[in-house]
Amino acid sequence: MLLKTKVPTYCVQCYNGPDLFYAVVEDGLVRTVEPNLECADISPAGGRICVKAYGLVQKMYNPDRIKTPLIRTNPKKGRNEDPGWKEISWDKALDIVAGKMNESKAKGPTDEGGFPRFAVIMGQAGSPAAYMGTLPAFFTAWGSVDFSIGGGQGIRCYHSEHLYGEYWHRCFIAAPDTPRTELVISFGHNTYASGGAAGVFRNAQARERGYKRIQVEPHLSASAVNSDQWVPIKPKTDAALMYSLINILLHEKDRTSLDLDFLKRRTNSPYLIGPRGYFIRDRETEKPLVWDIKAGSPMPHDFLEIGDIALEGGYKVSGIEIGPDNERWEHSEVLCKTSFQQTVEFTSDYTPEWAAKICDLPIETIRGLANDIVKHAHIGETVEISGEKLPYRPVAFLLGKTVNNGPGGYQTVWARTILAMLIGALEVPGGTIGASQRLNKPHHDRWSSVWPGDDGFMRNNLNPTDKDNWPTSPTSRARYTQLAPLVLNTGWSPFLSPYPLAWLAMGDGWRDVERTTYPDVVLLYRANPAISMYYPDLIEEKMANFPFFVCLGYTHDETNHYADIILPDHTDLEGLQLIRFGPAVHSESIWKGFGFALRQPATEPVFNSMDLTDFSTELAFRTGFLKEYYDAINAGLILGIRLKGKGFDHLLDPEKKYTREEIWDRLCRASTMILSEGKDDHNLQWFSENGYYAVDYPYIRHFMHPVMVRWGLRYEIPYQSNIRKIGKELGNRLHENEISWWDHQLTEYEALPKCEDYTEIWDQELRDAGADPKNFDFWLINTRSMQYAWGSNAALPLMAEAAKNVPGFKGAIINTRAAKKLGIAENDIITIESIKTTVKARAVLREGVRPDTIVFTGQFGHWKTPFAKDLGIPNFNTLADPDPANLDAGGSFADLVKVKIEKVDL
Amino acid sequence: MTHWVMVIDLDKCTGCQTCTVACKVENALGPTIQRVRVLANEIGEFPDVKRIYIPRRCMNCEDPQCTDVCPSGATFKRDDGIVAINQDECIGCRYCIMACPYNARTFHAVEQSYHDTPSEWEEKRYPEHTVGVVDKCDFCCSRIDKGLENGQKPGIDQDATPFCVFSCIADAIHFGDLDNENSNVSQLIKEREGFRLLEAMGTDPSVYYLPRRY
Repeated sequence: MLLKTKVPTYCVQCYNGPDLFYAVVEDGLVRTVEPNLECADISPAGGRICVKAYGLVQKMYNPDRIKTPLIRTNPKKGRNEDPGWKEISWDKALDIVAGKMNESKAKGPTDEGGFPRFAVIMGQAGSPAAYMGTLPAFFTAWGSVDFSIGGGQGIRCYHSEHLYGEYWHRCFIAAPDTPRTELVISFGHNTYASGGAAGVFRNAQARERGYKRIQVEPHLSASAVNSDQWVPIKPKTDAALMYSLINILLHEKDRTSLDLDFLKRRTNSPYLIGPRGYFIRDRETEKPLVWDIKAGSPMPHDFLEIGDIALEGGYKVSGIEIGPDNERWEHSEVLCKTSFQQTVEFTSDYTPEWAAKICDLPIETIRGLANDIVKHAHIGETVEISGEKLPYRPVAFLLGKTVNNGPGGYQTVWARTILAMLIGALEVPGGTIGASQRLNKPHHDRWSSVWPGDDGFMRNNLNPTDKDNWPTSPTSRARYTQLAPLVLNTGWSPFLSPYPLAWLAMGDGWRDVERTTYPDVVLLYRANPAISMYYPDLIEEKMANFPFFVCLGYTHDETNHYADIILPDHTDLEGLQLIRFGPAVHSESIWKGFGFALRQPATEPVFNSMDLTDFSTELAFRTGFLKEYYDAINAGLILGIRLKGKGFDHLLDPEKKYTREEIWDRLCRASTMILSEGKDDHNLQWFSENGYYAVDYPYIRHFMHPVMVRWGLRYEIPYQSNIRKIGKELGNRLHENEISWWDHQLTEYEALPKCEDYTEIWDQELRDAGADPKNFDFWLINTRSMQYAWGSNAALPLMAEAAKNVPGFKGAIINTRAAKKLGIAENDIITIESIKTTVKARAVLREGVRPDTIVFTGQFGHWKTPFAKDLGIPNFNTLADPDPANLDAGGSFADLVKVKIEKVDL
Repeated sequence: MTHWVMVIDLDKCTGCQTCTVACKVENALGPTIQRVRVLANEIGEFPDVKRIYIPRRCMNCEDPQCTDVCPSGATFKRDDGIVAINQDECIGCRYCIMACPYNARTFHAVEQSYHDTPSEWEEKRYPEHTVGVVDKCDFCCSRIDKGLENGQKPGIDQDATPFCVFSCIADAIHFGDLDNENSNVSQLIKEREGFRLLEAMGTDPSVYYLPRRY
């Protein structure tokens, strides 16, 4: 008789996970996987799992996997060099890696440049943590690690939203309150491709309810297809459209269309702005001043009852302004306008007529969007959540990749937040909410991260820009503590740093940027920067120079081709790890409960791979860091769970060497004791049988509004007095240290960010390269399909088979009429030429794309990865050659490039 | 009597291909064999364009043309309305493929692997199918039969329901008994004016579609 069992486990191949599911095992073979519907009541996806989870079976049994540790025998590294891989034992491989690390350690934690000698590259920024077992504890034990050279940051990233969103309302990534919203306007946010099972499920429920979804995007993406209205905007002009919507709300609509109460109480709209462009303050208390209409005099912002505050106008005020480096200006009876008044005047020129030309959209379409916003805002209405009455503003705004990174990124995030602000639809039911936070802590509870700070706003711990605390030497190769105050300096910060600088300057320096050193040892996990980062050729060149490069690898690929050692780790269905789930993880992953879930081996490993917890323990043991490694786990580095607390003591003993089961058993017990406040003590066996442990999470905590009210805080919008200040301070520090190559980025720090036609930047790059922009008359953009939204699935034929059913996967999508003008027919081979290079692709003719735009789906261009190398799909990144001088202030660039196309005569 | 039908809500289908892949893994279907294929149809001209996804599969017709042309009797209609294939009796003549108005059948010619060398999973699971016969969606009738034996309700209990139903992340696929006027499928068809593809062909399909409203 066949032995059939269902093994509970989870999938976190993308940020939206975990999605809990069962591996169905029969006689030691994982036959299939199926959703775990028992968690449907708390799961944002109703317990469902997306297409990638079903691919895990093929991922596990794929015969193209690295099957055992490999060591290079050919010291020459290059694309055309055969590494001469030779199989070695795990024992030998671990000894070699530990030996190299110990050699490096003996020289000290940092090198002559002051940079960590050990660097780690991870793909997808934070999601690998769900697969890395206790490896983060090893990193902590080691101490000095440079994570800044590769976390996938900036590219295909919601970068500006991560930085400014967290700063303003703890919004690393935004989401609509989909269960309640009436209207979602998405500026390029591809929920249906990259929102995971939760994104599709929640929107399908909203669709049943009759919500309206509008997708603003140059092509009919997976999300545009599933929207009520597609607005085919010209690439990279979203900011102009959003500014014009603000203009309409402020200059064409009646003030009753706005949430005046929200503006007065919850924003800095009433704050008075001094002549130098900073808040004007009370001389004694240094609190920002507002105007008391009844008294006819200024008052500190927190002094007045709401009815007395002036929202609009200018008033003669005496006080002080405090600028950069504590410079102070005394003022007597000077005219100061409110922040709101400044915003009204600032946006007066951003008319729909102005935007229509830039965005190539009909004016009626723009006004239609504004009318929709007003129609659905429900100003003045409330709804009860968790027994508390909250404002009900069912209009939400989303931003996508390319839209909110690179030039104009700050502007789009500012405009998105201001649009929500004007109708009071920020962090309230139905509106735009921050789905998660990653820079501030604790990650799993946004409310707990909010503390009163200066000037009536929530406290933010930005990287210092003052003279006493600004770091004169970089601490990482991407220099984020020096260059990017909003990136902060917490666990996720390196992944959001200006990584192109790190790669460009490594070895020889770049332009005026001082040379940075190569790390002695580089460990790479779940990443393929030779494909997925900007400048893939340069990345290959630099990786070839790494003195010692260890890759945890799934198959051979374009990056581990340059490794000295490749180590195969367990796949999803083989490894063991407890992780947190809920309350909110990514855009639509908003749970009704939170807790812990176990990923566990469904069956025996297929090949000679290793679990990353065992790997970490072995590495810690062989490098002499076992005590520090255990100390890190004991102290709560993994899961934020300490192993000793009230009623339990599961501390790891440094004299012993524990198996992965022993370590996770302790974490299982500690986590349930803490979460249940001592009521439940569930061990690994319990999790192995039950899969997950959850407690309720009050849904109200997904909205920031109640905690802002409780603390009496305001969002630091619309006027950016502090951003302006830190920008000036940063400029002072950089110039004092004779750094001028970051000057362009300093221009971003505006109190009210000016908007322009950013497409001109790409034309200027062409002119600078001696090319005529008229000859490069197409925009090439990149989009996603669910099969390849994260997950590292390029080597899986099953995903490709499914993706081929999605229009565009097999080539470059081009507008039918535009193609015909060039004599291009369906399936013709075309050349796509940028100023950097030329690639070939198959033409896919569609009406659902602008005539000036062509679209690549996913990231390919592989030359080594099994299966993927034969797909013949070019890589967007080889065509894009962004000038690093045009990086935004956070260090990211936008994913689009101007190209010309031509039919290939065969 | 029981008449199992499937209802697919085009309002909710997002074209994600999860049903296609879930079905392939559950039923161990080799390269290119897709019992459910989600067709993407673009309608209109730029800028007034829409794309409609239509999951296409065997319609398990009440009056199927495939059974009429099957010379061996391998393709047959069950009492519960499901059209099934007895793989042991199929001779691979492919008349049924020609007769099916929905292009819903595939000839499983030779055993293929997704890889240069078959994986352990492929070696163990592909033999569940006979090579040289025709393949199609049978509403996972073995799950239904087993579920009923265990006292479960198809369309409600996961283990007794076609695998794609609970795999659909948009909750767009529903399954139930059309002969029960109070069933979920009967209600949905009535309330949302469910329609069927190529009704004029007169095959009385058992797959209904709920029209897209946007």
